[in-house]
This record gives sequence, C-alpha cells and structure tokens, in this order.
Amino acid sequence: MRNVAIIGCGQTKHSSRRRDVNLAELVEEAVTNALVDAEMTMDEVNALVVGNMQGFGGVAQPEQWLGDWIGAPGKPVIRIATGGTTGGSVGQGGYYAVASGLYDVALAVAWEKHSDSREPGATMGLAHVGIANMFHAFNYGLSLKSLAATAGVGAAAGVAVYQARYYMHRSGCSIEHLDMVAAKARRNAAKNKYAHLQWPDCTPEDIAKTELIAYPFRYGHICPASDGASAIVFAEEKIAVKKAKQPAWIKGLASFSDEENQLQSENYGGVGVLDPSEQMGCRMSAKKAYKMAGITDPKKEIDLAEIYQPFPSQELLFAEKLGLFDEGKAWIAMEKGETDINGTIPTDLSGGVNATNAIGSSALQRILECALQIMGKAGEHQAPKKIRNAVAHGWGGNTNYITVTVLGDSPRR
Amino acid sequence: MPYIKDKRPETMLLEGEWNVGAYKYKAPHLLEEFVQGLKEKKLIGSMCIGCGKVIIPPRNICGRCHQRMEGRITVSNWGTVVCFVTSPPVEKGKFQVFGIDPVESGLIQEGSVLIPTFVRFDGADANIVTELCNVDPKDVFIGMRVKAIWAEEPQGQLSDLVGVEPI
Amino acid sequence: MEKQSEIIRVTGLPVAAGYNWSAGSQMEGFIKALAKKKIMGAKCSKCGYTYVPPRSRCGKCNAKIEDKDLVEISGKGSLVGYTTARVELDGAGNFQDLKKPKMIGAIKLEGSDSTIFMPIEGIDPKKAKEGMKVKVQWREKAKGELADIVCFKPEKS
Repeated sequence: MRNVAIIGCGQTKHSSRRRDVNLAELVEEAVTNALVDAEMTMDEVNALVVGNMQGFGGVAQPEQWLGDWIGAPGKPVIRIATGGTTGGSVGQGGYYAVASGLYDVALAVAWEKHSDSREPGATMGLAHVGIANMFHAFNYGLSLKSLAATAGVGAAAGVAVYQARYYMHRSGCSIEHLDMVAAKARRNAAKNKYAHLQWPDCTPEDIAKTELIAYPFRYGHICPASDGASAIVFAEEKIAVKKAKQPAWIKGLASFSDEENQLQSENYGGVGVLDPSEQMGCRMSAKKAYKMAGITDPKKEIDLAEIYQPFPSQELLFAEKLGLFDEGKAWIAMEKGETDINGTIPTDLSGGVNATNAIGSSALQRILECALQIMGKAGEHQAPKKIRNAVAHGWGGNTNYITVTVLGDSPRR
Repeated sequence: MPYIKDKRPETMLLEGEWNVGAYKYKAPHLLEEFVQGLKEKKLIGSMCIGCGKVIIPPRNICGRCHQRMEGRITVSNWGTVVCFVTSPPVEKGKFQVFGIDPVESGLIQEGSVLIPTFVRFDGADANIVTELCNVDPKDVFIGMRVKAIWAEEPQGQLSDLVGVEPI
Repeated sequence: MEKQSEIIRVTGLPVAAGYNWSAGSQMEGFIKALAKKKIMGAKCSKCGYTYVPPRSRCGKCNAKIEDKDLVEISGKGSLVGYTTARVELDGAGNFQDLKKPKMIGAIKLEGSDSTIFMPIEGIDPKKAKEGMKVKVQWREKAKGELADIVCFKPEKS
C-alpha cells in the first residue's frame, strides 16, 4: 500500500447552536478551511469521503444536498456512517482511497448539526439506532416501568454510566478523578479556538459542584451536543512532500466491532451483554494498528493521544486499552499529570469529545488533532515536545465499534 | 457557569418530523422461548458449542467465536450484582418515556431512588439489566447476592421478571 | 395481572423525531421575500449561473455567493418537463386514487438557470407541452412561508 499523509486540516467553530448557517454551509466552512490549510483548490481533489451519524440531523441523504457545496460534482463521493465512530471511519475511508492507488488526493469531511433536532442532544436520533434492536422486546411485554427506570438513569449518560461503574470498581479510581479529567478537558478546550465547552480556569472543585445525574456522573462530566464539522485532506507521498513542510503520515490503522459490547442487543433493553468496560474491540484495533505502524512499545513510542471520551471515565479506560498505561493505572498517571500538556503522553489537548461533541465529526477530529500536533499547527494547545507518533481513537457504532489510527512524523518504511 | 459564550446571529428555522414509530419490526423467535420460560418462572439461556458460554436471553450465534448456540439451559434464579447505577430521587416532570411522565402516571413513586442493575444469574455468562428492589441504596455493592422477583401470575412476557432483591 | 397501561404490546410506537432545520441566510432572504410576493435568486459573481432558490456556494464553479448577490427573479417562466400523478400515498404505505389528476412541472424562471418543481394548474395534461409559458400563482395573503407559492398557471389565462 502507498504511503498517505495528511496535508491539510479544517474545522468550524463548534457551539451548541450554529443557526447562522444551514447544514450545507456548515460543512462547506470546514472543507474550505481544510483546502486553505492544504494550499489547494477543489480542482486538485480527486475523491470525497463524507459522513455523519445516521438520523441525527434529520436529513436522509445529506451528501446529495451538500455535494454541490463542497465541490463534489464530477467526483466520486462515498458516504460512511458507523454511529459515533463515523468520523474515524470517514478518516480511514479517506486513507483507503489514496493508499489503494485509486486517487492521489482525497478529502474526508464529517459533521453533525445537533441543533437541527428538536430534542436535546438529538436523543431521538440516538434512540432510533437502538429501537430496531429493541423493538421486538415491546411485543413480548416489556414493562414500561423497567424501561422508565433505565431511561431515568441512563437518558443522559446511557451505557457509559455502567461502563464507568465497572471501570471504577476494577481500577480503584474514584469520582474525584472523573472531576479532574472533565476539568482538564474544559481547560484544554479554552486553548482550542474551535472547541465548544471552554472554561479557562476550570478546577475539579468546580466540576464537583455540579448536579449529580446518576452516580458516578455529574452534570459537569457530560459532553455537550455540538454543531460543527471537520475536514482533512489526504495525499499520496509525492504530493504530500511537495505541498506540506511537515505532513502527518498515517502509519497504521484498524477498526474492530465487538458484538458482545453491543448496546441493546438481543438482551431486552440490555446495555451490553458482557462488561461494557472490557472493550475488546479497542485492544484488538490498537494491536493491529501498532503492528502496521511498526510500534512495539506504545508506552514509550506514542508521544500523544487523542481519545474519544464523551465521558471522563472513557479517557482513562481507553488509554489503558490503547496500551498507553497498564491496566487499571491510567487514573494514577492522570493524577500525576502525565496526560497534561507537559506530561509523558499528553492526552486530549484539544479538550477532546468531552468538550466538543459534534458526533459524526468527533472521531475525525481526533485524527485531525493528532495531525495538527505532528504538523506543529495546533497553536495555543501545541504540545511543547516533538510529537513523533500519535494515536487517534474513536468509539461508537452501537457502543461496540472502535477505530484506531496511528499517525507519525515520517512515512512508513 | 463561566463558560466562554459563542454569540452569533440565528437564521430562521424550518420544522419537520420523522415518524420513527411507523415501522414494523419482526421479532426473533428466540425471545418467544425466553418468555415461555418466564411463564414458568425459569430463565432460559442458550449455550455456545464453541466456547461453552451461556447467554440469556438466548441468541442464535455467539458474538465472540461465531458458533451456533443450539443448546438450551435453565439458569438459576439467584445471582450476583455485577454493576449498578443509582439515580437521584425521581422528580415529577424530570423525564418522559414515550411521552408519559412515569411519576405522574404512577409508574414510579415520587422521591424513590432507581437502581438499574446488571445481574449475572448463576450459570449464565451474560448479564440481565433489571431493577434492584427492596433495598437501601446505601447498602448496595458489587458482588451482592440477589434473587429474582417474579410477577404474582406470570403471563409469559418480559415484565414477568419484575426485578431482583437481596437474599 | 398487570395493568394494561404498564405494558406495550404494539408494533408501532408513539414516537416521532422532530426537527428544526436552520435555513441559512440566503434561504431566509428567499422565504422573507415571499411575503412581498417576490422571488429571489442568487447570481454567482464568478460564472454568472443563477440559482432559484438562492444558495451560498456555486455548484458549478465552487465560488462563494454572498448575500449581496441576491437578485429578484420574475414570476414568469417556461415548463421544462412535467408529469401527471393519478395516485397518491395514504400515509400507511398504500396507494389511493386521486379524484383529479395532479400535474407537477419543472419550471425554469426567466433570469434563472436552475429549475424549480411546483404543482401546475389550469392545463389539460393532454395539451401540456415543454416550453409552455407559465406564471406564479400567489396565495392571497402571503405570510413569508414556502407555501406562499401555491402553484404555476398558464401565462395566457
């Protein structure tokens, strides 16, 4: 396979209501920013990969609407929707388009416009993903009370609250550590001009003051529902070297689905048949992606991580599954500041999904942020040390699907 | 909260609706077996011929080793709490389920604390999500032994398993 | 026995997802102008292609179209294509016969390069022809909604 690099990144400002623009205009904003960053025109792009989370914006075939806005006419367009990991899959789709030799330059763009939905956080969009799996249960007399009990506790935090409880039980981490992660995300976001929940001097004590939703989650732990889009320009080696001073090379990637972690599977109203904090899919993806990238010891070789963490417990949990810390030890490292900007493995310097969650775009943003750090373009939240290898993670699907992408400052040899 | 505000003009809104409830879904026959078991106060699961794992309610294919799950096994009514979540005291008007306020309609008593729980019934390798009843939320812990609470007259429906309570 | 109200035994749920789509400034300008019985279009300043309804990015040359590029378009145009519907969906997945056939046409307005799809009235489907001149029929009291344009009618009548 050919070497592929990221040569341009574009984002929109994320906020709870981007009602100044419609969907097509929002996506176009990110695409334009990416092309400006890559110093390219749309004529030089050969193919497009687009996507958002199915059902969320209430537009059935958004690529048909916005294709004209992003210069797609006359070019192959593929739309990918893999739930919460959509952005990760869109990014990997962009890589495949170029790595396969089919196209020399591909543009990947992913977005979400939550405010177009009338329910807070587009919950009906989320529910419809589960309803098809769960619908039959109603025919077998599922008690409305038990459904109400699940909804009452899980509506805001869903499967993640159980996952957090599992993780905390297993690792010994406490709710105060979740406060610390959430506060870090909001502080980091304040340095990222595109992020949503920006709180410059947020302390764990500030987060601890917020209302408890369902133990162990507080209101201050939960990610926002954002409007926003992000776009990446992928190019093959010769073009990449010519166009960018320091391209961000894609060194390894993988995605796995772990059926046993599926939300509302054949279990009625169930939330994962087994332990939702096990995340076998993440371990398998990481193993495969590191192997492809030639990384043998991620603890030493990975310099930075962008983890998909809509809930603070997930930053800790997935850092372990990605092999960055020993099992059950990520919270200790976080407490010591090893995941801060000056730490050994700075994690989610952009604020991550905990501060900005335009679902379709969230996992693509992880790849984008890793690329910015490698290219040295992250601005205020640029890590001071030289970033050689970075890992971008995506979590979603029906809570069972994982994407892992390893980026580096030099091509794979 | 001192978040940085993002102020920008708003353009007009156009309304629309998507009737998600208008679809018809086919139910798997395996759940039929499960609810027939519930009628006799039995929890029926299926066993994987590849790894020997028992999943309740029964399913066709093992998600991990992709083998058929043909055998049927009745697991114990007793089990262990493997995970639980406690809600704050339920208030009126806080949330709705399909347009019904559970407090207002009398489904859930105002001020009660809900404890959705993952229960691993003895003999099963999968969890059932159900409600933990008749317990002080402060006393709940992972590893707590519980038993199933059955409806007085099981009808052969999922709600026959009302919840679990400490032994 | 459990109360009926506690159990759902239906194949359809009373759930619908509601949406409020942002119109964007160009489309907002279009909808607001309808209140004054005016049709607005957007003319690309680079390639000159004119869109009705207006939009902010040219699909032909990918240039940005600004708010100032909004131009007023006449309510007259010609029929580019048409079709006649004799059945409609009843909302439950079945067809039902229409009492009167409905005609839908693709109309190219004067001064515009794109076409709009609108109901056509006052033309016998058998006598309809591509290229026929049509004009807009406004709702009596225009409110600034998309429904202000009721249909298109032959220009002569």
